[in-house]
Amino acid sequence: MKVRKLFQKTLFGVFSLFGLIVLSTSILCIYTVDKHLSEEYQSNSENIAKTIADSSVDILLNRDMSTLQSLIDQYRELQGIRYIYIVSEAGEPLAHTFVPGIPEEIQEEIRSSEVSAETLERTLPGIGDFVEVGSPILAGVAGTVRVGMDTDLVALKVQRAIGQQMYLICIILVIGVLASIWFVNLAAKPLGELLGFAVDLARQPDPARAKGRKVLERDDEAGQLARLFVHLAGSVETDQGRRPKASPGSAG
Amino acid sequence: MKNQAVTERDDANRTAHDDRARPMTRRSALRLGLGGLAAAPWLAAPRGALGAVLGPASRNPFPQDDEIVLGVSAAFNGPSRGLGIELYRGAQAYFTHVNDAGGVNGRKIVLKIYDDGYQPDPSIQNTVQLMIEDQVFLLFGYVGTPTVTRVLPLLKKFQDENVYLFFPFTGAQPQREPPYGDFAFNLRASYRQETEGLVNNFVRIGRRRIAVFYQADAYGRSGWAGVRRALAAQGGQIAGEATYRRGERFTGTMRPQVEILQATSPDAVICVGAYAACAAFARDAVDLGLRVPIANLSFVGSENLLQLLSEGREDAPRYTRLLVNSQVVPSYEDDSIPAVRQYRDFMARYDPAVPEEIVEDPYTPFAHSFVSLEGFLNAKLLVEILNRLGDSPRRAGLEEAVFSVKDYDLGVGERVSFGPDRRQGLQRVYYTVVDEGRFVTLNDWEGRLA
Repeated sequence: MKVRKLFQKTLFGVFSLFGLIVLSTSILCIYTVDKHLSEEYQSNSENIAKTIADSSVDILLNRDMSTLQSLIDQYRELQGIRYIYIVSEAGEPLAHTFVPGIPEEIQEEIRSSEVSAETLERTLPGIGDFVEVGSPILAGVAGTVRVGMDTDLVALKVQRAIGQQMYLICIILVIGVLASIWFVNLAAKPLGELLGFAVDLARQPDPARAKGRKVLERDDEAGQLARLFVHLAGSVETDQGRRPKASPGSAG
Repeated sequence: MKNQAVTERDDANRTAHDDRARPMTRRSALRLGLGGLAAAPWLAAPRGALGAVLGPASRNPFPQDDEIVLGVSAAFNGPSRGLGIELYRGAQAYFTHVNDAGGVNGRKIVLKIYDDGYQPDPSIQNTVQLMIEDQVFLLFGYVGTPTVTRVLPLLKKFQDENVYLFFPFTGAQPQREPPYGDFAFNLRASYRQETEGLVNNFVRIGRRRIAVFYQADAYGRSGWAGVRRALAAQGGQIAGEATYRRGERFTGTMRPQVEILQATSPDAVICVGAYAACAAFARDAVDLGLRVPIANLSFVGSENLLQLLSEGREDAPRYTRLLVNSQVVPSYEDDSIPAVRQYRDFMARYDPAVPEEIVEDPYTPFAHSFVSLEGFLNAKLLVEILNRLGDSPRRAGLEEAVFSVKDYDLGVGERVSFGPDRRQGLQRVYYTVVDEGRFVTLNDWEGRLA
């Protein structure tokens, strides 16, 4: 698609503006989606931990471990939740979802009674990276629930959400650019006609010959200029007719 | 999960299954249920929305005039299918006998069965179907803790309808204790009793460091809790633990689990799992040099376990020598026990077919098994209870009929009694080991395992 020189800078400006919009929107989008989704996952995990903690009280007091396990198994099925474990107030694991066993790092924490309800980031070798949230059961006197959220999965979700938004923005960008070019060309077309008309008129400055050209019928600025050129050509022709012709003998 | 259903009429018990027993999708199962409603005028009254089906206005004179329909949801496919199939066959042997003799007060016993593959969600869906659409008289012969523990709240939800779960194939506590204990009746001893017996016997012979290999779900946790409790009573604690995911197959590896337990130097390992995973664990334990007794609970499905460890192996004894399986029924080899003689007689006489309409892959049943014997005893006691309901059985009378069972002789050498505070019929736990390719009663713990 050929763009007239007159509009090349304008088009470049439009592209630059679009690029800037896309870039800033993307950065804002990545930041917002990442932040919101991560917060949402963490908030959900905290809610799950709290729900389990609240639901566990009666079950723990009844010492019904199979129902306790059944409870955490149901939450374990939620997307993003990778593991759940419940530790007694005495620092003994009461139920968990680990296979083939509780990772050594967590076992050590449990043994040293370092299990708290705080949120922490954890890397378990061979398993992955997690954000772990907790919730005390009966203010901690009956134990603690810990829920591990898979950060890789969250990152994947964030990437997917961002990817979808970027995809949309890119489509809008392409459509915008193509539309800009089309609009610029729409504006450039009468100028081209005017230019052609002006060139023709310059070659043969006869207003009578110019009659019937489409550009003269336009009611926009190009039409006005064309009509002005015809008028000027007519004036020039009249002026030339009035001017006395020089005699051959007067020369020199 | 593919759900299928089949109705078993008495005239189809020993013959090829008729049209009513063709493989069906869940939708066609529903059609069959509705077809049944249409065919039974007393059930064909106009009904409102599903939610109203069990409402007071829709209560109907259960059971039908000529049938008592029992709803079953169990594992008929997947790695634990042997449990569902064997339990079904044992029960069916007794029901067939009863139906041939005219049924219970003139009513034939019909099983409406669905496959849940030993998975909780299908089990819940099947139970809703059985309770609401099929309107079965009671639920019977469910298999597994993770399934039953999820179904129990449904029974509580519909407690006004008096839908009870009879004799589930699980020894877990939830259906034995509040808040759900009122909605189930158990025949078998509990996992708590099984694990306590195993722990006490191991400790008695000097094997104090006991590790647990268990299924990462409610069943595994139930057994784990039993071991923990029994060890605590002995002043000890679990030496080590490893888990596996439900649904593991024998072809899978259990080496990581064996290595975890090996690192804790156990004197014995108690497995709380299903046969495929437990057989894989026993195999890998032997292969990795963990030479300690490996105990399994009754749920494991002893014959299926033994089959996996023995099939095609010349050195099978190497893998089975240190196995100890607790059982909740006596040995089916013991002809001195009246119920065992009856069981063997009925199994030989009726040879209940595998419900091929619902079992997707070919399955060769065992002539006898602990699981089918349990199913047989379950059916025998249930028939006794149904008989006590009289000529006009109603769900509302079930609890009273069960509680009327006092010192009932089931034929296993242990009297059965029920009451408001006693919702489990049998208490005894038996221990078996493998000798010459079959399970025999373990009498000498020290001589065999010390």
